[in-house]
Amino acid sequence: MIQRKLTLVMENKPGALARVVGLFHQRGYNIDSLHVDPIEDFEPFRFIEDELGIKFQVGEVSRLTIRTTVGDKLMRQILRQINKLIEVIAVSDDESTYLKGVLRNENLL
Amino acid sequence: MKIAGNDILIQSLINEGVEYIFGYPGGAALHIYDSIFNQKEMQHILVRHEQGATHAADGYARATGKPGVVLVTSGPGATNAITGIATAFMDSIPMVVISGQVQSHLIGTDAFQETDMIGVSRPIVKHSFTVDKQENIAQIVKEAFHIATSGRQGPVVIDVPKDLTNPDELFDFNYPEKANIRSYNPPVKPENHQVSRAVDAILTAERPVIYAGGGTISSNASDELRELNELLDFPVTNTLMGLGVYPGTGKRFLGMLGMHGTYQANMAMHNADLIIAVGARFDDRITNTPEKFAPKAKVIHFDVDHSSVSKIIEADIAVFGQVKDSLKAINNYLRSRKDEINRQKLSPWHQQIREWKEKHGLNHELYKNDSDEHPILPQAAVQHIYQESEGKAFVTSDVGQHQMFAAQYYHFDEPRKWINSGGLGTMGFGLPSAMGVKLAYPEEEVICITGEGSIQMCIQELSTCSQYKLPIKIFNINNLALGMVKQWQDMNYDGRHSSISYEDSLPDFVGLAESYGHVGIKITKNSELKEGIAKALSIKDKLVFVDIYVDPNEHVYPMLVAPNGSLKDMWLGKGEKT
Repeated sequence: MIQRKLTLVMENKPGALARVVGLFHQRGYNIDSLHVDPIEDFEPFRFIEDELGIKFQVGEVSRLTIRTTVGDKLMRQILRQINKLIEVIAVSDDESTYLKGVLRNENLL
Repeated sequence: MKIAGNDILIQSLINEGVEYIFGYPGGAALHIYDSIFNQKEMQHILVRHEQGATHAADGYARATGKPGVVLVTSGPGATNAITGIATAFMDSIPMVVISGQVQSHLIGTDAFQETDMIGVSRPIVKHSFTVDKQENIAQIVKEAFHIATSGRQGPVVIDVPKDLTNPDELFDFNYPEKANIRSYNPPVKPENHQVSRAVDAILTAERPVIYAGGGTISSNASDELRELNELLDFPVTNTLMGLGVYPGTGKRFLGMLGMHGTYQANMAMHNADLIIAVGARFDDRITNTPEKFAPKAKVIHFDVDHSSVSKIIEADIAVFGQVKDSLKAINNYLRSRKDEINRQKLSPWHQQIREWKEKHGLNHELYKNDSDEHPILPQAAVQHIYQESEGKAFVTSDVGQHQMFAAQYYHFDEPRKWINSGGLGTMGFGLPSAMGVKLAYPEEEVICITGEGSIQMCIQELSTCSQYKLPIKIFNINNLALGMVKQWQDMNYDGRHSSISYEDSLPDFVGLAESYGHVGIKITKNSELKEGIAKALSIKDKLVFVDIYVDPNEHVYPMLVAPNGSLKDMWLGKGEKT
């Protein structure tokens, strides 16, 4: 087991963070660290806007960074479970990204 | 036109085509109830406990495929609904639950009847919304129905603070045509490379099994599954949630698999070289010990939910998408490669399955014993119910031995006819869910097969059945104890029957049913069984409660050996193991 980093882009809505944190507890995963910020510089996320044909407004979306220590199989499960949360727009680990539910085999975030 | 928040909410439900709303009023929901009073398009069904409301909505949803709708008040109203929401969540049933909430300015003050419903329900909903202003109500309802009924379906909660339904504040109402949720995009169609890989594996299999679950029913893919089976002539097993998706009397049907599955279904899975999992999630009641599950099998997994695939059992080939679309794609592609389908190759496999079935298959002759020297066997009771209803009824059940006997001996030829709490295993589900089914299909026979333990968990709904004149037929498989717990205590705790008995304090069920204006019938002997069941089914305009006293010492078999067993390790009878 090694420590891994997950990056999420999600809607900045009340209760959204609680869903992510709650998921870790419900499914028996552990959070080593968690960082959350509203996204102000959209430059690194323009590809999401282009891909989905949307335009982010300031304060609308947040970036979460979660560190967790798990094996490969569980990491894949965590990623898939987070992808299921309705307010998550994109989630990445080192090797893959779910962008609005569609899997890509690279870390785009 | 300008209308108030309470009317916006109710008009939005009407726009969604809601026929019935199951609920229970209270302080925080009063404005909403006033709005219900002022309309005629939708009927409110007043239950006797909010758990009953959620199960009734759930039964309606399972039988029709349309979302069930529930309305409860804040605090205890909301928390009483939790068991029913969790039941729907575990079985991926579309449901929209509207809970009243205290006024916005009181939230967080421990106000009267305040509970953080969003927090309490968070782990057991697909999604939830708090209404923040009246202008957003219509959009939220639209999104809630879209989320509940798309992708992997599930319950959605809408929590509505009372002040936002105030009849004195008016707003524009336009019901949106589409829910545009930019962060939500459930998969629909499978990818071609997944389909062609699956077909390659299908065409080379020698010992294949199609293992179809509740997702196949949710996706309305029964026809496509039957078509696949016609093309391939593969044996089919169904999970508890999947019964009916392939005909229970079908030629290639193996019966249910898993914990209390048939010998031939479990043996076929264990020895298969290809398992085609269709809308099924390899639950622990199916796999037994995952490391020992089907050691020689390649697995193709059809599912709409990425997180269900390779969660328990690693899939060799995953086909993501609505099961209906995926099966259509597979069937089309298979037709184009029809010359490569070799049915001859399967005959040793079919022969092997026939042998297993003959050796240890279920005994379908039990009902023929009408001697009063022996107590009624619960299996025989179910067989009689099956025959007298010609196998055509909707059957709801509760949880325990009677549920397993019903699953084993009532053979469902159509999907959505078998309504039971598979994932959560909720006692008390049977009667209220039957109410939802009966409201949806008033002309159809609706039977609830229950036990004297389960029925008492929501027995108050007998009153609701009386109010709305719901002529459900309840068959209470009465063994005077919590039979499944007793069975485990017999098998694993040297027969120490801890807290499973209430024999001396059971109500007179016949008298109880009659006190609500229903008909009660008591059956204690084999010689009364056929006639008593037939009589109950012949009464069309009244609810009939049939209390059937059965052998209190009967166990459900087969039963997987656990822990550490595989699917081939089964108890076949008392003290008899494979």
